[in-house]
Amino acid sequence: MNPIGFSTGALAKGDFELGVDVQRAVSRIDAIELSALRDHELTALIEAIPRLDLDNFEYVSFHAPSRLQRLGETAAFEMLRLLPETWPIIAHPDLLQTPALWRQLGSRLCLENMDHRKTTGRTVAELKVLFDTFPEATFCLDIGHARQIDPTMTCAILMLQELGNRLRQLHVSEVGPRGEHLPLGATTRVAFAQITHLIAGDCPLIIESIIPPDAIDDELDAVIALFDAGASRRAIA
Amino acid sequence: MTQRSDADWVLLVDGPSDPAHAIVAQEIGKRILEVVPKEVGPTGTFGNIVPSHELVHYIAGTQDSNENLTRRILLLSESRALTNPLVRERIIRNILARYVMYDRSVPSQTGARGTIPHFLLNDIVRYWRTIASDYASKMWERRGKGWGIRNVKLRFSRKLLFLWGLIAAFSGELFATPELHQVKNDEEYFLRLAELIRTQTDVSPLDLVARVVLECEHAAAIGDQIFTSYDKFLGVVADTGSRKNLESVRVEDALNDETYDELREVSHTFREGVTKLFFDDHPKLPMLIRKFGVF
Repeated sequence: MNPIGFSTGALAKGDFELGVDVQRAVSRIDAIELSALRDHELTALIEAIPRLDLDNFEYVSFHAPSRLQRLGETAAFEMLRLLPETWPIIAHPDLLQTPALWRQLGSRLCLENMDHRKTTGRTVAELKVLFDTFPEATFCLDIGHARQIDPTMTCAILMLQELGNRLRQLHVSEVGPRGEHLPLGATTRVAFAQITHLIAGDCPLIIESIIPPDAIDDELDAVIALFDAGASRRAIA
Repeated sequence: MTQRSDADWVLLVDGPSDPAHAIVAQEIGKRILEVVPKEVGPTGTFGNIVPSHELVHYIAGTQDSNENLTRRILLLSESRALTNPLVRERIIRNILARYVMYDRSVPSQTGARGTIPHFLLNDIVRYWRTIASDYASKMWERRGKGWGIRNVKLRFSRKLLFLWGLIAAFSGELFATPELHQVKNDEEYFLRLAELIRTQTDVSPLDLVARVVLECEHAAAIGDQIFTSYDKFLGVVADTGSRKNLESVRVEDALNDETYDELREVSHTFREGVTKLFFDDHPKLPMLIRKFGVF
């Protein structure tokens, strides 16, 4: 069964401690993504890591800022490189302005496919160019972004076909027309169901649906049901 | 496209409505007129905002229209994105999903999956027959005005769109790689078949026809009949005087009109090449057209 949990930013924007605490209280959650999407959150989150109780989580990843406003690129990199080596560092491609710097992270650098507001990293062709630049990097497939680019999910299948050997984790949520992360709706579930059987059973699922903590169980139920169905199809095949 | 062509542009909207779309569309119209001085056609099919909803959801059935059918088939066969190509790609994928994913044949007893998307093929044939019928309708409505140019377009450029559509619909037989047939489940198979067809939407009709002509036993002769003829057609419609002549010639004067009569003769050579390609010479097309093209 896939390790599963939420991004702290999805459950408690700007309050990572709450984002951790509400997940520790749910026994089904065994994965977590610590999120510092806005760069002013980065310092506080990294400083807090030693005192965060992460024992419940068998998988931990860290989402780098999506863009830098207050911090310089080098300063951000220096902070991120000090994270535990086993934690993948999820990064949006447009953060990586100086490739030589980020290549030092090797496979810890985990590139995420983008939504349609960005100008790169959206399709398999664009991702392959990025992975040529970062040959050791791993891959975070955001299936909501992939669906926004192509609701038939052909793009997602192509990404899994071409980049599946790099796959480190999934981001799961519905993505709205303006890039907003939403709970899984009916049409999103239909679309995701087309690819869940292609996801390995040990691939961590990080839910990015922005929901209040009292909706955690419902969203977990929805995601688990989807991926359990995928596992059944995989077993039959 | 020749220097006398208009530009059949649309502002494709695949998302929430925004009043600003109208302002952007007006600006696009102005900018395109600066590059392509001929006004877009009077029917309103192009030169407008086009939301994706009708293109994807109103395929055949009571809510489809000539306008929607034309936009849909031209989007597939000869469109290019001036900006944000992912929007065009996404809408095309959604349309092809309707044709391929959501209209599957009953599986055969052997378990072999279908390679021919009948819904797409039928819509392509329907489009060709519709424009051929509309030619007569416009003759009636416009009392023969502009008859000559529409007639030669039907013989060449409209027919070329039909050829593109037939070849694209036969992609699963003509261009499939072995990987397509190794896919384990049906959903993925049909997604990949749709994607194979989508890749043809990035190939111009002339290039796609050339691709299959090259597979013929008599490729040089057939290619000469098709492409030399088409080149002559383009040459005539690109010539200001000849085009004006075609735009004004009357049906009753057709046989005495040198420009029209020459193109009519050339169109027979073009048709002969196309007929050899589809009915005689290509290693697969004669079987496909015989099996799926009519009955």
